[in-house]
Amino acid sequence: MKTPPSSGAPSSVLDPYLGLLNGPQTMGRGVPFWVGFIAIVTVLALCPEFLRRYDIINFSNFLISGFLALSLSLIWGYCGILSLGQAAFFGIGGYAYGIVALNLLNSHGNTDVAMIAGIIVPMIFAVFIGGIMFYARLRGVYIAILMLVVSLLIGLFMRQTADPSYTMGAAYLGGMNGLRPASADDPLLPSLILGLGKSVVELDGRDASFYYFVLGLLTVTYLGLRCLVNSSYGYILVGCREDPERTETFGYDVRLIQLSVFCLAAGIAGLSGVLYTAWGTYIHPDGFGVGPNILVVIWVAVGGRKDLGTALLGALVLEWVSLRLVSEGEIALLALGSILVVVMLIAPRGLAVTLGEYFNTAETYVMTRFGSRANKVTGSDGK
Amino acid sequence: MNAPAHQNDASDVILEARGLVQVYGGIRALDGLDLTIKRDAIHCIIGPNGAGKSTLFKMLMGVERPTSGRVLFNGQDVTRLRTFARARLGMAIKFQAMQVFQELTVYQNLFIPLRRNYRPRAIPDQAAQVLAQLHLEGTESQLVGDLSHGQQQWLAIGMSLAAEPTLLLLDEPTAGMSPDETDLTSEIVKSLQHKGVTVVVIEHDMAFIRGLNSPTSVLHYGRLFAHGSFAEIEQNEEVRRIYMGTL
Repeated sequence: MKTPPSSGAPSSVLDPYLGLLNGPQTMGRGVPFWVGFIAIVTVLALCPEFLRRYDIINFSNFLISGFLALSLSLIWGYCGILSLGQAAFFGIGGYAYGIVALNLLNSHGNTDVAMIAGIIVPMIFAVFIGGIMFYARLRGVYIAILMLVVSLLIGLFMRQTADPSYTMGAAYLGGMNGLRPASADDPLLPSLILGLGKSVVELDGRDASFYYFVLGLLTVTYLGLRCLVNSSYGYILVGCREDPERTETFGYDVRLIQLSVFCLAAGIAGLSGVLYTAWGTYIHPDGFGVGPNILVVIWVAVGGRKDLGTALLGALVLEWVSLRLVSEGEIALLALGSILVVVMLIAPRGLAVTLGEYFNTAETYVMTRFGSRANKVTGSDGK
Repeated sequence: MNAPAHQNDASDVILEARGLVQVYGGIRALDGLDLTIKRDAIHCIIGPNGAGKSTLFKMLMGVERPTSGRVLFNGQDVTRLRTFARARLGMAIKFQAMQVFQELTVYQNLFIPLRRNYRPRAIPDQAAQVLAQLHLEGTESQLVGDLSHGQQQWLAIGMSLAAEPTLLLLDEPTAGMSPDETDLTSEIVKSLQHKGVTVVVIEHDMAFIRGLNSPTSVLHYGRLFAHGSFAEIEQNEEVRRIYMGTL
């Protein structure tokens, strides 16, 4: 599929081979980027070989956060919809996974249906709440606030489900203590158990196998979303971000486009919740709170909302920083907030985006110098 | 010369506004406006600031719904249709404010409207045709922010044309343009008439309107104040008094 040429920057030599993976709506199109990308994925894949098990468990959690960052970057960075309640879909996905897994594990022997439910249920909820928002023509800060309120309300409700009557089959919602089995006879909240035909693969959240699975899934999701945002659909998303009124005059139903990407992002956030629940074998209402919701915004804003890779990088780096600071108590969130303020002042489009642009400028400068010197040496004029 | 609504052969009429009223608080921006636009023609709309010209365009394109009245496009009542649905029927608009996607290149700006009707493979050729029509050849890879004001205005017109409309509404297409750029814009607008596009232009630049030499409607206080050829309008003492005499 032919995609629009780059926004001012020269096309990469890799463009003909990578197709939509290398479109202008994503930073990093040249050989250095892809070499760096492969190197990072390789290093991450090798981590279980030289890191402690404790670190791998934490790294799995970092990667799970990456899905959430990608989901917010997709709607905020590419379609201009800032949601301060993206963690709501994370929580809904986690609860949906847990409830279905607790009920079907004994009969099915795997969590396949639970995993699908953890993605589909947030999407259905997104159709409902997004339909109201977008068809009511809500915009900007109103959507952001509404989503935060929705997330807080869900969290408030889930906190009040400690009464034993809040039982769904084998699943007891559990109030503040989080989801748990309804009785001693019911199974515990499981990690991922993937059933492939008659074979079953169990991925324990504390094992390297789970880490590999999450790393592979995150890589595939990132590359898939790169293709999406560089496709025609991605350009229409950008049109909706830049000027929804104008985009509508070209015949696009902007409300439907916003709703579709909102649902997709909800599904990705739901997947993040599924993996988190499977990773820790618990899910509780704190995930719907202000902190987790704002944290996602900080990751994406600091990294750079208008690029999937920078948003992902922001999440991974800041999660690592949070872990380093966690021993200092509440100072972690304060430090992250300070980082956000400083970054917004010095690099409002995101730190990784700004650094990437400096790198591109430096690369262009070096290539120009190197190229012109090579031309002088060879006597070539480049034609 | 166009006649008031209901007195034209239906096949000649592409757009009709019947009794359009738009009330903002206590202000009647449109006050029972009737207007008929003939097919394959250029039609100019002039009037003092606050006469309701831009409000009329918003009503015609469905950006806002009228308090009362109807809009008919090709005989079909489109009053309740959303903007995107009217666009799919063949209506397009260039608003008064500059509406180009500043962070994208010229080609990417055209890609979005062209994608409605063409597969991605066909878009480069179509974009080249639109750019040639607007004298913007060779700017494909430029960021829109790097274009001159006039070029951005042409691109905004080009984006509307890329949607392949049969009716194009242009709100102040020459605003901020140099005399040379205004002349070129006049040629572009005239060329559209020969390509089966009906053009309705709101403009304050009387030299530009005079150059188009087309049927002209004068709006005043949200009503159709006068209608006729530009020469007739120019000679109309009442029009001179309320509007042209002040220019």
